[in-house]
Formats: sequence, C-alpha cells, structure tokens
Amino acid sequence: MSTIFTLATIAAALRLSIPVALAAMGAVVSERSGVLNLGVEGMMLSGAFAAYSAAEATGSPWIGLLAGTGVGALTGALLVLFVVVGRSNQIVTGIAFTLLASYLTTYLFQRNYSIGQVPPRLNRIGLVGLVVMTVVLVVVVYYLLQRTTFGLALGAVGESPEAADALGYDVVRIRSIATVIGGSFAGLGGAALVCGPLGLFIENVTGGRGWVALALVVFSGWKTFPVVAGAFLFGLSDAVQLRLQGTQSALPYEFFLALPYLLTLLALVLRARASRTPAALGVAFVRGAH
Amino acid sequence: MTSLDASPMTLDDDPLEESAPNGRPRNRHQRGQRAVTVSPSVIVPVASLVCALLVGAIVIVVDGANPFEVYRSVAAGVFIDNRGLSDTATAATPLILIALGYALAYRARVFTIGAEGQYLLGAIVSVGVVTADGVRDLPGPVLIALGVMAGALAGAAWGGITGVLWTRFGASIVISSLMLVYVAQALLQWSIRVPIRDPESFVPASRQLGNAQLGELPFLGTHLGFVVAVACGPVLAWLFARHRVGYRISVLGHNPSALDANEVASRRVVMMVVLAAGGLAGLAGFFEMSGVNGRLGSSASLGLGFTGIIVALLGRLHPIGVVAAGLAIAGLDIGFEVSARSHDLPSSLVGVIQALVVVFVVAGDALAARFIGEGE
Repeated sequence: MSTIFTLATIAAALRLSIPVALAAMGAVVSERSGVLNLGVEGMMLSGAFAAYSAAEATGSPWIGLLAGTGVGALTGALLVLFVVVGRSNQIVTGIAFTLLASYLTTYLFQRNYSIGQVPPRLNRIGLVGLVVMTVVLVVVVYYLLQRTTFGLALGAVGESPEAADALGYDVVRIRSIATVIGGSFAGLGGAALVCGPLGLFIENVTGGRGWVALALVVFSGWKTFPVVAGAFLFGLSDAVQLRLQGTQSALPYEFFLALPYLLTLLALVLRARASRTPAALGVAFVRGAH
Repeated sequence: MTSLDASPMTLDDDPLEESAPNGRPRNRHQRGQRAVTVSPSVIVPVASLVCALLVGAIVIVVDGANPFEVYRSVAAGVFIDNRGLSDTATAATPLILIALGYALAYRARVFTIGAEGQYLLGAIVSVGVVTADGVRDLPGPVLIALGVMAGALAGAAWGGITGVLWTRFGASIVISSLMLVYVAQALLQWSIRVPIRDPESFVPASRQLGNAQLGELPFLGTHLGFVVAVACGPVLAWLFARHRVGYRISVLGHNPSALDANEVASRRVVMMVVLAAGGLAGLAGFFEMSGVNGRLGSSASLGLGFTGIIVALLGRLHPIGVVAAGLAIAGLDIGFEVSARSHDLPSSLVGVIQALVVVFVVAGDALAARFIGEGE
C-alpha cells in the first residue's frame, strides 16, 4: 500500500477533487438560500461540454473554463425560471434538468464528432493553475457567505423567507442570484474536469460527480471549508481507484470502481442527521402564504 | 389526480428530502380563483409531447433533415412496419414496470432515482440463479418462476438499502439511490467476470438463459413480461383507489404526521414503498434478460432506469397513465431507431425529445398549479 500514497497520487487527487469542490461550493450557496438544485450533475455536464467545445475551437483551456462558467450561469438562470419564479417542484425539476443535459450533451457530442472519429484532446490546464483558482474562489465564497450583508441576507432567506421578506429583503431576487452563482460554479466544475485532469469530453463525462457534490454539501453541514475537504477525500478515493485498477490486488478491481461512491454514501450516512439543514430548503416562497 | 405540486409538507422535518418541495395549495383560494372543470391531467402530458416534438422538429431542421419526413417514418416504423407494434410493446415492458415503481414512490413523495441499480441487481441475481449448476436444467416454467422471484427480491433488497439509510440515518434517498446505481454497475462487471461467467465465453458474460428464456406469445409478438407489466397497471390503480395501502401512500405524500398520529409509522410506509419500487425494477431486469437479451453482458446498463422517470412523470404518476406513457416513449424509441439511421441523424436525438417531454411536463404542472388550479 505504501506505493499508493505517493506525490503523484496526491496530485491526481487534487486534480480530481477540484471539479467536485467547485460544484459543491456552488450548491452550498444556492442551498443556503433555500433552493435545492438537483440539476447540479446536468449543469456540470453542460459546462463540461461547453468548455470542451470552446477550448477545442480556440485552443485555450482557460477560454473553456469561461465558456463552462457562462453556460453554467445560463442553466442556473433557467432553473430560477422554473423553481423560483414558476415554483415548480424543486426535486423533480432538478432531475428533469439533469436528464435533459445528459441527452442533449450526448446528442451534440455525437453530432459534432461522429462515431469513429477520435475527438481531439485539449491543452490541459496545469495543476497549479487549477489549485490557485480554486483556493481564490473558496476564499471568495467564504467571505461572501460569512462576511457580507448579502451573505447574511442569503442565509436568512434560506432559514426563514417570511422573516427576511418582512425585513425588506427581496427573497426572489436573492434566491435567483444564489441559484445563478450555484449554476456558474457547477458549470465551472464540469469545465475544470474537462480542461483539467481529463483533457477530453466523453458522454456523461461527469460520472455522477454532481450528485457526489450534493452529498458532500450534506456531509459538510452547508459550510464552505468542510465541503472542500470532503471533495478532497472524494478525489483521493478516485485517484487511488485509478491507480489500483492497474495493479494486482486481493480485492477485485470493480470494488475500487465503486469505492468513491461507497465512500460518498458513508459520508452521507455519517453526517445526515448531525447536519443542520437550512430550514426553508426546497420550499418555494410565496408572499403572504402564511 | 395527485399533482406533484399540490401539497405542503415535511417528512420528519428534513427538507432535503423526499419531502418538502413546494407549493401552497391553498393559495389559489386566497386569490379567489376557482378550479376549472377541465382537469389538466391529460392536457399537460399531451401538450408536453406535442411541444417536445415541435422543438425536436426545429432540431431536425438545424440538422439539415426534413422534420415531416422524419416524423412520418417514425410513425411508419411503429404503425406500418410489421414488427413495429410488437417491438414497441417489448421495449415498453421494462419502462412500464420501472415507472410504476417510481409512480408508487413519488406519490408518497419518496423521491428515488435509482431504478437503474435495482434493475441491474434484479438482472444479475436472477440470471445467476437460473444459470446456476443444477438449476439451469430444470423445466422452463420452474426457472421462470425462480427468475421472477429472484429478480424482484434482489431489486427490492437494493431499493430497501436506500429505505434503511433514510429511515435510520436520514440519508437522502435521491442521492443514496443514485450512488447505488454506480455500485450496481461495478457489481455487474464483477459478476459477469467472476461468479456467474460463462466459462466458454471469450468476453465477460453470463451463460445463455436456455430454458429460462421467454418465448414470443402468439398474437402479441412479445414476451410474457409485457402482459405482466400491463396487468400491474390496473392492479396498482385499484390499490391506490380502493385499498388502505394505497391510501396510506397518498397520506404519506400529503401529510405524514397524520399517519403517525394514527399509529401507522410513516417510516414503515417509506420502507414498503422503496421495497415495492425496487421489486418492480428488479422484475424488469429479469424480464429484459429472459425476454430480450438472453444473457447478461457488460452493456446491460442502458439507462432504462432514468427513462423510467420520464415515463412516470409523463403518466402523471397514475398507473394507467404510466402504461400509456410507457408505450408512447417506447414507440418513439422504436420509430426513431430506423428513422434516425435513414435520415443520418444522431441516435441520441430521441433521448433529447424524451427529456424535453419531461421538462415540459414539469413546466406545465407548475403553470397548471398556478393559473388553473389542479384538482387535489
């Protein structure tokens, strides 16, 4: 086992944890405002595809990241239209978003790169660039949530929208902004996967990382730094999984395929009861309903 | 008709959950609106299908094909082609079974999305049982009965895990059911590589199902599974409308504390729902192996468990509606299979249209709840 936890594994773990960390941070922002976004997986996928297309066209993975973020923000705005303005069921809407994104990106990918043709690989962003970007964003999100008036209002809206409304906060506006921020981070997360560790897009490339991000939000108790730590643990198990696949081991390699998801389940089980859920999470706000 | 948007509630006060989306049903009364007599329950799904096909037509135009031609050949593939209707029935079988399970669960506001995993477990275990040494030479009917039981039990067990994680630890069923899909996919690869592998086979795959294979029924041109799936529709409809189990499920969907107040543990109803939904998905897994695939291979996970969500929502969580929706979605699959190839369109186009259907259903539901007032 000593050969597993080498520097290379740690680096791979960092690379693989950054997409999840970014998406999970976005989910923390939107869930704290009371909007449960089960479309994170779909938004990551949309961002991943947009990033791949843009990076492939321009040759710059950084432009890919921008494109992914932009498309993520757009999907966030679409979700706002459905769940904040239209007050559709947040759980079903999120699932529908993810389904649509999964089929749509598969379709566009098949259409642009017909079968048999090998899709080109991207210039990848180095680890240092990704880490610096992520650290900056973690600090920004932490500061936004904990140290600004907007952050406090955002939390209030997620705990008691009626009270926040009575204090003069615009609940719909705050939730909309939080959801768009969440979408941008999910899109950026997908983009960081494609422009970072992978350097290519394949069908359903995110492989459930959006759902893992949602589980990590619960695990973290809706807090910024713990969610990033949780993402690193996921990345570590993912990296170990990739390393162990090629080696002889007593356990079948399929076990390691399942390992990141089993660990996510474990994290969810350990922390679900202990975490303080925002009181108004998943509940649409209707002025004067009470 | 239960609308997904028509009840305020929390389940054990955990809003992440299988619980508390949305909606304030009394709202429309406050605004002094009256419910309109035409129920949108059929209008929304039909309009959603039409809208999805319209958007699909735009996509087809962008792709450089003629949408009238494409849709004409889709319809011809289903209604004119000799095998069109029976192929549709065969393709609808797993979708209907899986979607009935989702309908059951969503009515109780237990939001699971992991039927794909339960389907796979049903397939793995049932194939393992009916191809085991000493078992596989038994007569066909015995093997099929064994396979049905093994598939349903395995699917129920896999679904039951999510129920236990929720009732004992409060772990979100949405997330845990999906995590278990990935675990089931890993289990599939391992099972056909090691324990139930056909020793003669070069690639990892199970043995052929032999006597356990389902033949084509006369007149219908499809296998027994279709008859079972369609029969489940009225049975569940009766259960929802007339039986106390169905009543408890809808109470859980609307006001779980009322259940607990009447000494029926809401946790027990949640368990029952996830077991039943898992069992239906597991059954679908066995029928698909014995009626279509003939053996378990590495590509058994095709996403039927996710398409089932579309079917359940398009069918408005009503068992009869689900059967109709299953046939409609399967018809699109069968029709597009030929049409997409002959018009040089990507095969995934049909998935886009199917997913658009569900997005329009969700939007239509929200609009209906807001402006018309859906019957509760």
